[in-house]
Amino acid sequence: MTHTRKPLRRTIRGGRPFFFADPAIDKILNMVVTLGSEVWALRERLAAVEAIQERQGSLAAGEVDAFEFSPAQEARLAADRKEFIENLFRVLQEQVDAAPSRAVRSSAPAAAAPKGGAVFGARGSRRSPPAPSRAQAAAKAKTVAKAKTRAVAKRKR
Amino acid sequence: MLELKHELKLGKTRDEKARMNFVSGLRAHVLNDLASGMRAVWESQGEPDFRRRTGRAPKDGPEVHKAIKPSEYFRFYSSLRVTAQDMVWQSVFPALDRGRDGLRKQAAALETRTGLGSLTLKPDLEVPRSVSAIDVHLMAGNYDGEYDEGDLTAGSLYDNGLAVFSFGLMGQNLDDIGQSIAGFIRAKYPQFKPKKILDLGCTIGHNTGPWKDHFPEAEVHGIDVAAPCLRYGHARAQAQGRDIHFHQMNAEALEFPDASFDVVFSSMFLHEVPRKGIEKILAEAHRVLKPGGLMIHMELPPNSQLSPYDAFYLDWDSAYNNEPFYKPFRDLKPADLCRHAGFKAAQYVQFVVPSVGWYGSEVLKEAASHQQDVDSDKTGRLTDGVLWYCFGAWK
Repeated sequence: MTHTRKPLRRTIRGGRPFFFADPAIDKILNMVVTLGSEVWALRERLAAVEAIQERQGSLAAGEVDAFEFSPAQEARLAADRKEFIENLFRVLQEQVDAAPSRAVRSSAPAAAAPKGGAVFGARGSRRSPPAPSRAQAAAKAKTVAKAKTRAVAKRKR
Repeated sequence: MLELKHELKLGKTRDEKARMNFVSGLRAHVLNDLASGMRAVWESQGEPDFRRRTGRAPKDGPEVHKAIKPSEYFRFYSSLRVTAQDMVWQSVFPALDRGRDGLRKQAAALETRTGLGSLTLKPDLEVPRSVSAIDVHLMAGNYDGEYDEGDLTAGSLYDNGLAVFSFGLMGQNLDDIGQSIAGFIRAKYPQFKPKKILDLGCTIGHNTGPWKDHFPEAEVHGIDVAAPCLRYGHARAQAQGRDIHFHQMNAEALEFPDASFDVVFSSMFLHEVPRKGIEKILAEAHRVLKPGGLMIHMELPPNSQLSPYDAFYLDWDSAYNNEPFYKPFRDLKPADLCRHAGFKAAQYVQFVVPSVGWYGSEVLKEAASHQQDVDSDKTGRLTDGVLWYCFGAWK
């Protein structure tokens, strides 16, 4: 495995078009369909497992419900789940890639983070609304922090 | 999802195959079912509304586009189509990322084993901005994106992606266009025996190969500006046992002598080139053709020959699929283009060729015996029962 090679660029130069009054709807639709794809992948996989087990002998009743994964299996599932979730929300990464250069880039090694636009220099997404300015973001963060403080105070009472 | 039949195909996990199956199914649903639904909604609501408002029918594609744009059905169709288009390439990336280091080794092994055909690259060739500046049809990296020395990645992305994209309509080897057109020409002109054939903008040569199948005695050449596609195309042709010569060359400035080819072909190429480029390409085709040779371009049908709704439907890609030259090309009149390039008006030809994979070779031969009407909701459209449109001229 080579860790130094350039990551594949997966973000579209020129951005993607949006059709609904709020681009968030298009993005959510993308997520829903991606989720549909993953659900389908599971169904195909399960069908394969069932077919194999049919060939080799059947499952005992309740065996799946009672099953516990080993720590190694758990760790592998956790890594797969992380990838699953990242893929589900990949469409949001486009705005990050399209943001001006001061936007935070992933600090993970190249091979582990194939979504950056570093290779060809991804451009701004043509029809997406402008990203909030630093001042707006700071103001929002402040509001969120205040709300959190209030919530904590409330719970303490 | 279609499985590629040659040895360069990427290894895929069970889950990756399932995701690709899903995307193919999604595309078939959007382009067959939702497309029919959108037309039905337009005919039952959109067009009557338009007539009530204006007292007339829409006169062209842009008027239909403007009227249909606010409708919810159009928005869902479009948003899902963009999503599906994006997912085509996304479904290939994980397998591509794993397999891309092996591609160069496979290509080298094929070279040693078969030695078929040739590959001539020109690293200092200037790639036109119509290729270098955008990701055509939302394919991240486009045809020419290179990651390493001797890279084949873009070619592999295109080949494996097309297999997902076409949901079977481009044939088992993604060569239905080439097989249909070359087969049609052979059936229609049995006396025509081309000795040298050139495919312009051939990418991975998927539609170049069929010319060798139909005219095995001919020397077949393919050119493109994108080195990673050519490297891959050369290896792919070798894997399929085909003797094809690939060159990195711009179709606007061919490096072949005058009167050196019997056939100059292209498929799905001109609509990705700006008008000035198209004019140069056709003039070059005229120059390199021998007298009695045939120029034939498989393309999207021109707007002037389609109903306003079908014109709108095909132009969708221009507005939303990173195909900025698609509508401008379709607004041109192919017969005028050929005449301006130096061909005689009387030598102009255009054909509607039934997909050989869909209809079979008997229907193809039958179609060769008469002229077909271009205006159909299957002409040039990736949908069940597709009919390929092509135009050109004899020199």
